[in-house]
Amino acid sequence: MAHRIVGQRFGRLDGADKVTGAARYSADVTLPGMVWGKALRSPLPHARIVRVDASRARALPGVLAVLTAADVPDLLVGRRMFDMPLLARDRVRFVGEKVAVVAALDPDVAEEALAFIEVEYDELPAVFDPADAIQPGAPLVHENPGAYHGAPAERPHANVQSVLRFKLGDVDAGFREADRVFEHTFRTQLAHHGYIEPHAGVIALDEDERVQVWASNKMPYRLKELLSHALELPPARIRVNLTPIGGDFGGKGSLMDLPLAYHLARVTRRPVKMVMRYTEELMAGNPRHPSVVTMRTGVTKDGRIVARRATALYNSGAYAAFKPAPSVNLGGTSMGAGVYRIPHLLLEGFCVYTNTIPCGHARSPGEPQMLFAEESHMDMIAKELGLDPVELRRRNLLRDGDALANGHHLEHVRATETLDAALAASDWAKPKPRGVGRGVAMGHRHIGVGFTNAQVRLETKGTVTLTIGLPDTGTGAHLVLRQVVAEVLGLSIDEVQIELATTDLFETDSGVGGSRVTHTGGRAAFHAAEKLKEQIHAEATKLGTPDASFATIAQAAAREGRTLEAVHFYDAKSHAAVTSFTAQVAEVAVDPATGQVTVLRFTTAHDVGTIINPLGHQGQIEGGLIQGLGFALMEELQTAEGRISTLSLGDFKLPTIRDIPPLTTVIVEDAVGPGPFRAKAIGEGSISPVAPAIANAVADACGVRIVDLPITAEKVYFALQDRKGRS
Amino acid sequence: MIAFDYRAPRSLDETLAILQEYGDEARVIAGGTALVTMMRQRLAQPACVVSVRGVAGLGRIEATNGSIRIGALVTHREAECSPLIQERLPVLAETFRRVGTIRIRHMATVGGALAHADPNQDPPVTLMALDAGVEVQRAGGGRELPVAEFFRDYYESALEPGELVTAVTVPLLPAATGASYVKFLPRTADDYATVAVAATVTLEPDGEHCREARIALGSVATTPLRERAAEALLSGARLGERLLKAAGSAAKTAVDPLDDHRGSAAYKREMTAVMVERALTQAWAEARRAARASG
Amino acid sequence: MIRLTVNGQAHELDVPSYRTLLDCLRYDLGLTGSKEGCGVGVCGACTVLLDGKMISSCIALAVFADGREVTTVEGLAEDERLHPVQQAFMDAGGFQCGICTPGQVVAAKALLDAIPHPSEAEIKEWMLGNLCRCTGYYKIVESIQAAAGQARA
Ligand SMILES: Cc1cc2nc3c(=O)[nH]c(=O)nc-3n(C[C@H](O)[C@H](O)[C@H](O)COP(=O)(O)OP(=O)(O)OC[C@H]3O[C@@H](n4cnc5c(N)ncnc54)[C@H](O)[C@@H]3O)c2cc1C
Ligand code: FES
Ligand code: FES
Repeated sequence: MAHRIVGQRFGRLDGADKVTGAARYSADVTLPGMVWGKALRSPLPHARIVRVDASRARALPGVLAVLTAADVPDLLVGRRMFDMPLLARDRVRFVGEKVAVVAALDPDVAEEALAFIEVEYDELPAVFDPADAIQPGAPLVHENPGAYHGAPAERPHANVQSVLRFKLGDVDAGFREADRVFEHTFRTQLAHHGYIEPHAGVIALDEDERVQVWASNKMPYRLKELLSHALELPPARIRVNLTPIGGDFGGKGSLMDLPLAYHLARVTRRPVKMVMRYTEELMAGNPRHPSVVTMRTGVTKDGRIVARRATALYNSGAYAAFKPAPSVNLGGTSMGAGVYRIPHLLLEGFCVYTNTIPCGHARSPGEPQMLFAEESHMDMIAKELGLDPVELRRRNLLRDGDALANGHHLEHVRATETLDAALAASDWAKPKPRGVGRGVAMGHRHIGVGFTNAQVRLETKGTVTLTIGLPDTGTGAHLVLRQVVAEVLGLSIDEVQIELATTDLFETDSGVGGSRVTHTGGRAAFHAAEKLKEQIHAEATKLGTPDASFATIAQAAAREGRTLEAVHFYDAKSHAAVTSFTAQVAEVAVDPATGQVTVLRFTTAHDVGTIINPLGHQGQIEGGLIQGLGFALMEELQTAEGRISTLSLGDFKLPTIRDIPPLTTVIVEDAVGPGPFRAKAIGEGSISPVAPAIANAVADACGVRIVDLPITAEKVYFALQDRKGRS
Repeated sequence: MIAFDYRAPRSLDETLAILQEYGDEARVIAGGTALVTMMRQRLAQPACVVSVRGVAGLGRIEATNGSIRIGALVTHREAECSPLIQERLPVLAETFRRVGTIRIRHMATVGGALAHADPNQDPPVTLMALDAGVEVQRAGGGRELPVAEFFRDYYESALEPGELVTAVTVPLLPAATGASYVKFLPRTADDYATVAVAATVTLEPDGEHCREARIALGSVATTPLRERAAEALLSGARLGERLLKAAGSAAKTAVDPLDDHRGSAAYKREMTAVMVERALTQAWAEARRAARASG
Repeated sequence: MIRLTVNGQAHELDVPSYRTLLDCLRYDLGLTGSKEGCGVGVCGACTVLLDGKMISSCIALAVFADGREVTTVEGLAEDERLHPVQQAFMDAGGFQCGICTPGQVVAAKALLDAIPHPSEAEIKEWMLGNLCRCTGYYKIVESIQAAAGQARA
């Protein structure tokens, strides 16, 4: 179907405020009388708090309030499982946990005051490694996590937060059918999302004692619910005002400092702003879970996978509070099956408490971890079998009707086409010089589900205003939604404006995340626009002028005191029977003298639905891919004994503009998505296969297999030395 | 940051008087890139901060007999882009170009690069290999000391309270000499070096033997190092690939790096050998070119 | 008391000695376009021009800028007309979340002032210190190239 507006490459029409500096992010919100909150954090990974004395800090000029656990309600908060106190009470469980909070007239004064709060600790035995934490007799991070609100029932050890399991067939029987069985273990690192905007929030109590909130949070309605619980106030007393978000990548969905800002506002009777320093982000944000993944696969002689068992131990840190899924686990565990049909499958993910930074969701939660293991494992198996890695994949790729690990059967499976597209575009078969290698990896990502409200209103000048409760996290979703409405109503893009609702307008909304917005927001906008279209037709018929302009129609209605508007609540509860495949090829050079890996070129192929805005679509691919590259090669929050030592962006390194490889993108378009105009999702498709593609390329280039991320020059160098030593 | 006295004197004498008055309570601020960062992290909390930015006469780059004198307030970017330095000491311009990002180079000064005494910085390494001298002033006197004697420990220089770096004097390269700077950056293009090496090679008139070689190392100890054992291997010897490799191996035993985010001590040691060899190879090639050009 | 000229407008301000230039712009002058990301000079979200040269305002003291001229993102557009760099970032998708964008466009403007037609390598050298986590940089390079093309036309 040919579209007028859908599929057009619009520039970022939604971004004039961003290029001029006019856009007001949460940290930019300034209110009369506003003061600053800053948190004092624990220097110890596990300790009893013996005494807190804030009297000297309270006496400092410019300090308005100091709160400790004794001054805030004794309740626990979280996104799904409520296990985190507002301020550490009796006990700290990780380095960086908040112990006290200060409000002062100026941010520097607030920070200085922290040094005047005396805390006496009594150190407790701590546990840092998830494998140690689940041993009998390990120090317990929480005595009785099962009692927490939202805690899953299954708990093999008190240090286990949750278990997520995917099962197909009978895995033991499957292994009995196998001619060969392979097992390998992989590790991935602790990594921060790297959004450039640290968490920020402003809380003010208005004249009606309502709590006004501005926060870098992508799920305003969920935030309202969570705050209602955390602040012990009815939801109607809370209003979340939408602000643009300076990068999310899964990290901006929690309460973070907001309850404390509220209590400071309550005590000082002033609006309070709390903005984390980047150092605090790196020590106490909600980063990507590190993992240890063991993959065990049974294959037949001819390279068919008959059974697989994969076990992931995720180091979840001291609290489960940052994980939003009902499972309190990482859905990416299912990616242990890769993009393959595996009749007998058992995948298990264990989220484990330790005395380290609490982890949360990050772009494709769990998938980069699992796919690094899975797709490296595939190449290792191919090598053992003497098979070409592409051939091994081909023999096992999912086909129409096959089931994913979660039991969903798929239609419109384009795995083989996507792989072929990547191979062709990357010159896979071309000879390459010594020291250069190519690696392939694949993945797939669902199209997200959730629920969204959209309201459309015909203005008297004939334009349409779309009102939604989805904040702008940067993906360009607002432009996509405008395109959808313009397409349906036959308007130009400029004739559709967007307006952001506060949480007062709608009942609910699942917010941004999980690759859902184009789908759920798009469908809500689509159906709302369809409804409005019907109303407009009806009005035109009533007026007796079927081709009356929108302005005429709106004005006629206005004269009768009516506004033409429509609301649609779209709720997608279950996943569509389609997914989006990704196939990537990395070409790398390895310097044998240093181990340094240079990515010479990168190819990424995506099986996608209808593309609504090609510019934004490509932007998602590129951004995700470079995050994947950083995860593969450099990003790591290095820790020792529970202490993170990479506490600035000078030490925790993100890729720069000079670190990006030449990139070829191939689109395999197939209009079968559940989104508006049969769109799928793209935000999380490109990140996950990057690391295994590079690891496989490194192995191809120099024969060294790196099984723990990131793939640093140092690891490659010593692995090369090792191999030399042995031969 | 906590409040401090801020002074912005206009003349050198006034500056030195203030520094004398406050002693170790005062910190000079030049570009501020290191000092402000440390103050924000509470690693420095001086009672008085003395800005030297307005002090006349500290921002010049000038040719003196046989050397280039660079004022302490010259920024890294000015040094990198100076036609004089680019022409006479291209290795030094190149070294400044390798520092951080342009934004930092616009702020950071040559004096700050020395006084900050961080062993991971780039300019001190090359200045050391070039045998530069540091001019230091205090109320009522001054001294000049070789860069090789300027660094004492991690973030510790030979400066006494009350002293100010006013300039660095860099001798030009002798005839038939090549110089190189190698900064090993295995993570991203913007980082401090995992290992850095500056080298010079001066050839004998025969074009084959080495008259003198100088090697300085960064990021491999608590201060930048001059690697004299490796230098000794080269001086008087006939140059060849094997010898350069041997020099690299010699350097490796001399270093005492720390484990950090840029690599383990063991890795930095190994990379010292590789980078010394690479730096010498480049310097040697440059030296041959210089010899041919003059001969 | 310090004197600053910001985007052509003169200000006299009484700021504490410890105030960073970034905080001074954001809180004393209400110019919140410049952002604090890393706070240590690495990310470039706080990039401003000081006497025409780009610096990190997060690690500059406000007193350090006394008597000097500061240009922030708010000073790039003339009246209602976007600077060509700003327009190019919109047209070519040089931003997503936009938090790095004020720094990117200020740096890019300074680049084109210094080198009107930069090569790709020159763009990457100049922009090295402006991190962007959203775009993967490809479209930032394209935006600057587009702006340079426009400047040429
Ligand atoms: C993000 C970032 C990245 C960087 N990357 C690199 C890099 O890759 N390579 C590299 O080499 N450097 C790098 N640097 C720069 C370097 O680390 C120092 O910050 C810089 O050289 C200090 O110069 P300054 O003029 O800003 O000194 P300031 O910060 O003003 O001062 C630093 C110290 O020197 C003292 N001081 C300054 N000038 C004098 C003087 N004339 N006499 C006596 N004492 C003085 C001060 O009191 C202070 O103790 C980086 C800096 C930053 C912030
Ligand atoms: S905030 Fe100043 S450079 Fe990052
Ligand atoms: S646009 Fe989000 S960090 Fe650059």
